[in-house]
Amino acid sequence: MAPGLTREAEERRLNYAAHIRYWRRNLKTFLPHQYTGNDCNRMTLAAFIISALDILGDLPAALSQEEREGYIDWVYRCQLPGGGFRPAPATDLGPLRNPENQIWDPFHVAGTFFALLILVNLGDDLEKVKRREILQWLTKLQRSDGGFGETVGENDRVEGGNDSRFGFMAAAVRWMLRGNLEGPVDGVPDIDVDAFVRCVQVAETYDGGLSEAPYHEAHGGFTSCAISALYFLDRLPRKQTDGRPRGLRNMPMTLHWLASRQTLTLDEEDAADTYSDETDSAATCHDSHSFMKLHNFPSSRGKLSFQNQPPVHAELKWVGMNGRENKIGDTCYAYWVCAPLKLLEHLHIIDPKPIRRWLLDRTQHLVGGFGKLPGDHPDPQHSFLGLMVLSMFGEAGLQNVDTALCITEKAKKHLESLPWRRKLLGLDDKGEA
Amino acid sequence: MMTALFTLLSAVFSLPYRLLLAVAVSVRSRVQAPKMPANEDAKYYRDDPAWGDVEPLPQDDGGLHPLASIAYTDEYSEAMGYLRAVMADSEHSERVLELTEHIISMNPAHYTVWLYRAKTLREIKADLGREIEWLNPTALQHLKNYQIWHHRQTIIDALGSPDGEADFIATMLEQDSKNYHVWSYRQWLVQRFSLFDKEDELTWTESMIEDDVRNNSAWNHRWFLVVGGHSGHLESEHVVKRELEYAKYAIRKAPQNQSPWNYLKGAVRAAGLPSSSLKDFALEFADMRRPDDIYSSHALDLLADIYAEEEGNKEEAKKALELLATRFDPIRAHYWNYRKGLLEVPETAA
Repeated sequence: MAPGLTREAEERRLNYAAHIRYWRRNLKTFLPHQYTGNDCNRMTLAAFIISALDILGDLPAALSQEEREGYIDWVYRCQLPGGGFRPAPATDLGPLRNPENQIWDPFHVAGTFFALLILVNLGDDLEKVKRREILQWLTKLQRSDGGFGETVGENDRVEGGNDSRFGFMAAAVRWMLRGNLEGPVDGVPDIDVDAFVRCVQVAETYDGGLSEAPYHEAHGGFTSCAISALYFLDRLPRKQTDGRPRGLRNMPMTLHWLASRQTLTLDEEDAADTYSDETDSAATCHDSHSFMKLHNFPSSRGKLSFQNQPPVHAELKWVGMNGRENKIGDTCYAYWVCAPLKLLEHLHIIDPKPIRRWLLDRTQHLVGGFGKLPGDHPDPQHSFLGLMVLSMFGEAGLQNVDTALCITEKAKKHLESLPWRRKLLGLDDKGEA
Repeated sequence: MMTALFTLLSAVFSLPYRLLLAVAVSVRSRVQAPKMPANEDAKYYRDDPAWGDVEPLPQDDGGLHPLASIAYTDEYSEAMGYLRAVMADSEHSERVLELTEHIISMNPAHYTVWLYRAKTLREIKADLGREIEWLNPTALQHLKNYQIWHHRQTIIDALGSPDGEADFIATMLEQDSKNYHVWSYRQWLVQRFSLFDKEDELTWTESMIEDDVRNNSAWNHRWFLVVGGHSGHLESEHVVKRELEYAKYAIRKAPQNQSPWNYLKGAVRAAGLPSSSLKDFALEFADMRRPDDIYSSHALDLLADIYAEEEGNKEEAKKALELLATRFDPIRAHYWNYRKGLLEVPETAA
């Protein structure tokens, strides 16, 4: 057998049956008590579960009509009387809730974002969502520097961090509920989009990535969230300027930084082989396992090839992605790095094949799902983002996804077809915009 | 371990997960006793006379079809019921501090429990020094938790002094020298207490880079002190020289380490110098006339940029990018080829 064929035969595939079993189990049975630390992220986990089954094409088969309605009902039970969603029943004060204590069961941006995603995924029309109130809340969630917090606490104080994760979710919620429109809509004021763009710009780092805050370290997650937010706000860089501030002041550097996230450091052993040896040769450097071997590439390996098969260098078979300089590859960063590249229309500057192989051969788990590192147990976040990346790469058998919203294109079309949204955006008179 | 085992069992034998859960829980109490708080250590409020006046508010999980349900321990469910009752009643007291501590030990990512605790500390005018003493081991138990750091900022801000914080940070970084929360917190400290130009801060940062020259968080902290503390500029010729020499010294130690290369290029830009000022230095590691002696893909990358800007040297730039794509950094071959493609495009007025 030709070596090329052997390689193909050895290659791991996406184990659909196992992934579907993994996600159905997450949907229909209790998560073990070790998830207690995620008790306030249940809406997030739920969105991953529902969206993953949709990406796998299993959602219609996995749910009875009664279950579908029951889940929609559960999400609406998390809607707050004043608008917005709590991220879990844990903070629900039930009959004891009153104007004085409601700050302990507040509007929550992640709860709201993921609740909307679930409703859209389950085919709800969002008619029962307090949409005006949510849009009002978003303006309260924005700080004077343009960034967003997680929740609004006592005396209207914006609580939580001030990084692009919250800006991403706020921008996504705004897009879902009012599309690209800027300025007041239907009597509801808009967030300060220009201020947010400036907030993203000052978090650009000297090496081309984006960070949590000015002069903090560049990080894949914050880079992705910031770029997705700019995408929802229609403020990504453009060739023609239109006078509006646009994010990313140095695109070539950002692309350089994103491309630099590809790594051959795939497990702790790869990273450990040079610790406490900081002498001055290429042989002892980080990534030396790749650099020195690649030094001989392709000359010696080339001799081994025959039948015109290009040699697959062992180190090139798997390429991981990391979230920061000199860190180990991690499944979720395949999404946090590929998503901005795709939104910036530059996904072609990476080779998806070895990244796909890394996910399938190294971090895909026997029982379905993906772990963070090779050998790790699967968890919903890494399992979901692994699937997202494979779908973005065009994996056969997976539904197409919307990169920034993290739902299938089909689900996004459902949202865009809703009559109230079409009316708000003035699409009914003019047809498709 | 146990979770994995029984996820696997469930998958392989298609056993009902709930059944396995029940088995696992009974097994776990024996097998995992050292890791899990043993049952006799569990705290229950219903048996505690000090809580006799409080009617717990049980969780309404939301109907027949809740999503992402968690098999809570009885201990957690009960404590949360008391927390909701206390929050509903806006009680702030010493016992509430104990209750929030108990909840945090089981769910440190509960976002309002931290806010409620902070408010309680203010209301009862608690000793904030004691709060920090409690926070130290708690942070060590939950290295990746975000809320702990936000809370710590609130407390240290109120205390008005960074005393002792450097030692605590050192302990945290011993566990994980690149922990993002810890470095972000350090930056907050520097800003809050104006430590940018304090000699100790730069010396400490240097020692972190000495410990691990590839610690990008430490490099970034240096940038934060030297450039961020001075409105994005390198403040004098002396500082420019010092920073360029420092980055070069680190590159000579480990030429294939991208952190100091990024730092060096950033410093040259911040000083308003042309990238061509780094040409001779880059050639030390990547002389294209001797491709077998190339020691750094980052030097080649920099040379490609420098050649591209030089009059009539695009061919050299292409050669550098080809060497990167085919020999020295093939995992980024698509990117290097893309850069090569850009050299063909006629310059547009930027």
